[in-house]
Amino acid sequence: MNCRVLTGLLRIISISLAIIFSHVVVADGVVVDKVYHPYVLPNEREFEWRMLSHQNDAGNSLGQRIAYGQSITENIMVEVYLVGERDSNDDFGLSAYEIETRWMITEQGEYWADWGMLFEVEKEHKRDIWEFTTGLLFEKEYGRNSLALNAFLIYETGSDIQNEFETELRLQYRYRWMPQVQPAIEIYVGEDYTGIGPAFMGIQRFNGQKQLKWEMGFITGLNGDNKDHILRLAIEYEF
Amino acid sequence: MSNFPMPFIHCVIMTLLIVSFSSLAKRPEFQLRLNNHLFYPAEIEIPENTKVKLIIHNQDNTPEEFDSFDLNREKVIFPKKKAIIFIGPLLPGRYDFFGEFNPNSAQGTIIVVPNKLAPDNTESEKNASKSPSNSAVVKEINHVN
Repeated sequence: MNCRVLTGLLRIISISLAIIFSHVVVADGVVVDKVYHPYVLPNEREFEWRMLSHQNDAGNSLGQRIAYGQSITENIMVEVYLVGERDSNDDFGLSAYEIETRWMITEQGEYWADWGMLFEVEKEHKRDIWEFTTGLLFEKEYGRNSLALNAFLIYETGSDIQNEFETELRLQYRYRWMPQVQPAIEIYVGEDYTGIGPAFMGIQRFNGQKQLKWEMGFITGLNGDNKDHILRLAIEYEF
Repeated sequence: MSNFPMPFIHCVIMTLLIVSFSSLAKRPEFQLRLNNHLFYPAEIEIPENTKVKLIIHNQDNTPEEFDSFDLNREKVIFPKKKAIIFIGPLLPGRYDFFGEFNPNSAQGTIIVVPNKLAPDNTESEKNASKSPSNSAVVKEINHVN
C-alpha cells in the first residue's frame, strides 16, 4: 500500500477515534480478554478456545468462547465466536455470538512499528443488545522484546441496553524467551476497571502450518476491591 | 463512571504513528532463492543495527512458509512468486530460519555482523535485479544432501 495513503488513513482513523474517545465514558463489562497482534498470514485457519474466570467481592463468574477463524486474503482474517457464560443459577449456556475481522495494515517490520485494525460485531443471545467494536492494533518489537497495544472504541446499542460509546485499552509487554515460554505483563484499562498482572504464552509447532498457541494470564484489579482477580486462558490450534 | 484520559491516548497514538512512518529511507536489499526446498544461499550476512529487506523468490511449484522464532517472522511464499520480509535492526549474532513445510531441508541463517565487517551490497543490488540467483548475498554455502 502506498505509504502516504497509509499514513493518511491511519491519521484519519486515529483522529476520528480520538475525537469520539474524548466524549465517551469507559465501558461497563469485563475488559480482560486478549491482547491482539496486528498480524495475519495467508492460508491461515484456526480453532480457538478462551476461558475467563473472574473472582471479586461479588462472587465468581466464568466465561468461555470457542471460535473458528480463517484468513480470506493475504492481510485479512475473519473469526466467528460462540460465547458462553455461567449465569446466577450456576447454569452454563450460550450468551452471545460474535464475528471479528482483523486487518494487517502494514507489513511486519517495514516501519518503526506495525499497525492493524480490528472490527467486531457481537449480539447477545435472547437479548436485543448489539456491540460494535473498532480498534487500533499496534506492535513494536526490539530484539526479543515486543510491546503490543490495543485501543478499542465500542458502541453498544439495542432495546435492552442504553446506547453508549465505550473505550478499552489493552497493553502487553512480552519477552520472547523461547517458543514454548514467553513471559509477559498485561495491563487492561476500561469499564471502570484497571488491571495488571503477569501472563505467559507460547507456541508449539507441528508439521506444516500446524501449531498450537497458548496463553495464560493472572490479572489483578486495582479498583480497591478486597478481592478482584481474573484468570484467563486461551488455546489456539492453527492448521 | 469516570472519564477516560483519551487526550493522552490520542497523543500517544499520534506520536506512535508519526514515528512509525517518519523513517522511510531505502533499505539494503538481500535476495534468496528457494529451489527444491532449499534456500540459496543458506547463510546471509547483514550489517548490525540496520533494517534490511529480504526478498525471497520461491522457484518451487509448492508454497513455503518462511519461519523464524529468532527473527520473529512468519511469511507465506507462494509458488513461483516472491515474498518480501523486513528484518532488523538486529544485534550481531546468528538468527536461524526455516521453511515450515519442509523444515528438514529448507533451513538457513542470517548472520548479523558488526558494521565494519558488513558487506556493501550496493553493487550486489544491481546484480540482484538482473539475476536473483546471483544476488546481493555475500556468502553462499553449498547444501550437502
